[in-house]
Amino acid sequence: MRLEKCWFCSSTVYPGHGIMFVRNDAKVFRFCRSKCHKNFKMKRNPRKVKWTKSYRKLHGKELTQDATFEFERKRNRPERYDRNVVENTLKAMKKIEEVRVQREAKFWEKRMKGKKSKERKEAAVELGQAIHLVKAPLAMQAEPSLTLPKVPEKMKVKVSVSKQDESQPMQG
Amino acid sequence: MVLYNFKKITVVPSGKDFVDIVLSRTQRQTPTVVHKGYSISRIRQFYMRKVKFTQQTFHDKLSTILEEFPRLDEVHPFYGDLMNVLYDKDHYKLALGQLNTARNLIEKICKDYVRLLKYGDSLYRCKQLKKAALGRMCTVMKRVGPSLAYLEQVRQHMARLPSIDPNTRTILICGYPNVGKSSFINKITRADVEVQPYAFTTKSLFVGHTDYKYLRWQVIDTPGILDHPLEDRNTIEMLSITALAHLRAAVLFFIDLSGSCGYSIAQQAALFKSIKPLFANKPLIIVCNKTDLQPLETLAEDERQIIQELKKEASKCAAGQLINAVPDDDDGCLLTMSTMTEEGVIAVKNAACERLLQQRVEVKMKSKKISDCLNRIHVAMPRPRDTKERPPCIPQAVIEARAKSNANRERKLEKDLENEHGGAGVYSVNMHKHYLLAVEDWKEDVVPEIIDGHNIADFVDVDILQRLDELEREEDALAEAALANDDEDMSEEELSPEEMQALAVIRRKKKKLLEEHRLKKTTADSRPIVPRRHDKDREYTSSRMGRHLVSMGLDPSAALNRVRSRSASRRGRKRERSTIGEDDADAMDIDQPSKRLRARSRSRSQSRALTEAIPGEGFKDTAQKQKAVKLAQKASKKRNKNARRGEGDRVIVNLKPKHLFSGKRSIGKTDRR
Repeated sequence: MRLEKCWFCSSTVYPGHGIMFVRNDAKVFRFCRSKCHKNFKMKRNPRKVKWTKSYRKLHGKELTQDATFEFERKRNRPERYDRNVVENTLKAMKKIEEVRVQREAKFWEKRMKGKKSKERKEAAVELGQAIHLVKAPLAMQAEPSLTLPKVPEKMKVKVSVSKQDESQPMQG
Repeated sequence: MVLYNFKKITVVPSGKDFVDIVLSRTQRQTPTVVHKGYSISRIRQFYMRKVKFTQQTFHDKLSTILEEFPRLDEVHPFYGDLMNVLYDKDHYKLALGQLNTARNLIEKICKDYVRLLKYGDSLYRCKQLKKAALGRMCTVMKRVGPSLAYLEQVRQHMARLPSIDPNTRTILICGYPNVGKSSFINKITRADVEVQPYAFTTKSLFVGHTDYKYLRWQVIDTPGILDHPLEDRNTIEMLSITALAHLRAAVLFFIDLSGSCGYSIAQQAALFKSIKPLFANKPLIIVCNKTDLQPLETLAEDERQIIQELKKEASKCAAGQLINAVPDDDDGCLLTMSTMTEEGVIAVKNAACERLLQQRVEVKMKSKKISDCLNRIHVAMPRPRDTKERPPCIPQAVIEARAKSNANRERKLEKDLENEHGGAGVYSVNMHKHYLLAVEDWKEDVVPEIIDGHNIADFVDVDILQRLDELEREEDALAEAALANDDEDMSEEELSPEEMQALAVIRRKKKKLLEEHRLKKTTADSRPIVPRRHDKDREYTSSRMGRHLVSMGLDPSAALNRVRSRSASRRGRKRERSTIGEDDADAMDIDQPSKRLRARSRSRSQSRALTEAIPGEGFKDTAQKQKAVKLAQKASKKRNKNARRGEGDRVIVNLKPKHLFSGKRSIGKTDRR
């Protein structure tokens, strides 16, 4: 028993899950779920599909080169069982995993570093350009703050039909 | 050496088939096209060829038959007699002779007709001559039909004869019917002769083969013989007699001691005496069978006397042909056995073989040829040079290795373990026990394969701890470096709550606008264009406008008033107190209020038509229009009552427009041309 990687999205395929396709040239393709299988059948390139691991790695969204990745390697040579070695390996695997998680978090932080200021700038621009949608320019002139006018719960617009009103010009 | 195998004789067709075969071959293998216009010599030659060819074919086929059937004078006398018994020598010879005659006759016919054909003067005459020739040949063949049928039967029977070699070492079994001859041959050879508890189960000769002293021995089982004169014997018995007479074999004369075959010992002895001449010059053994039913020792006195006499006779027989045989050779001539219990069967076989072999060797030694052979044979007899022992030499190492391997052979096999622990299906093999691991205890470990979504096998490494140390060191270095430049500028301000709220509202609004626009776009084709005044969703209402303006921070009252003043509500609105009267009370006459003003002030009901005169309609004022409308209604009233056609009715001006009903009509429409 071993865990395989999905050919399309590179997720882990547990025993008894997914589907395996063996092409007539004996190349084996494993898929974690029907979604990946269907995408394969549609001849999509996993490097061009955004949700796959290969896309994310290719486009710098995830950690690609790291010392923690060097530990995990498929060995095609069978090793004779040694209890001590396996014990050490199990201990080491936990630590490696911790380190890897930390590094990935750090990578993410680094990647997201400039995002806040960028968003702030964009927000400022948007506020300046589109405030007229929520507050009329005349209202802005009267009260230049960004506080939005309040609408009463149950508003009844009274129409006063007075002679004076009719003759008077509309007020802002 | 002549091999007596009659299986390869070709099939003899019946008379009719014979003629068919020959004629069809003639038809196929000679030219078939001839014309009157050919020169006469060519025509003659064409037919002569046919006649000659037919004759040749007959000749060939008859010759093969004559050659392939064995001539009775040439085969071994055993076979000669056998055939005489089975097929009747005279009949056989006659049949072959008839075929020979037919062959000659056909030859003669051919010669005659070829001669006649030389004088044939036309195609027709030649053809008739040919026809006559072939007809006569066929008649000849038809006449020998019975002979051909007989020969075919003979051939089929001969193909099934056992292939007996008359010259080889042979053991012949004979005796009364039902004394156990076939059982005996079944015991000592692989022949599968039918054994049944009635007389004459075996109706022909059977052959089996057995081995003795690395030589191949032919064993012949014969049908039983009854004791009566030669002339009275039937065909089946005659087969046995023939075999006895002609084969130089060891003869086993079977006697049934128990008498369960239906014949007493005295009767069997009588038979022995009557066929005694046939045993001359042959090794003879009297075999007392069925000792399981009746042992020789417990036999009645007189019967035992008879057996003793027979034994004496047999030994006399043997003495007659054996030069150095002892006359009172007791045990050799009389043997007892039981085919049922297999007791003494092998002894009988061995004794018979031994005797025959001895006899054959003696005969050979007497012949002249033997001296030629003997001086070529030299048998070396090595003589010991001294008295010293010379045992085989086996090296010590080999002895030790052998002992070791013997010791190893006693180790427990998996099969033994299985048997100890409950046998197949219960015992399960421990696959781990032959593992080659550094420590014995590890064999039974459950090896982990998967942990936390990783294959452990992918990580297993001898120096993993060192590598992990390196990694941790690297990690520490990285952490330090990060601390060093952890002076990230958080100088930029966050958005204020008002700003955030405003932004949220703006984005919501933008999104809504976008959605509405998209919805409109998707349904643009299927939506009817409806005038804005049919405002089904009550979208364009003054109250909604007012609310919107308020939400935008504007005072809506002025806008609403303006709208109100411009709208013409369909519903009647209650008249408000007129301010005109109050204002101009002094200026205007109260009794003469303006008609127009009255008209305008009155609100129109829904049922009431719009009577107001619109400029361009042609009326002076509303009153004039109302009058005109009334007149028009009155004028049409009577016609409507009578259901006559009026102004408002549909009119078809031209029922048969010329352009639709003239011209040619072909494929196409009749309503548009």
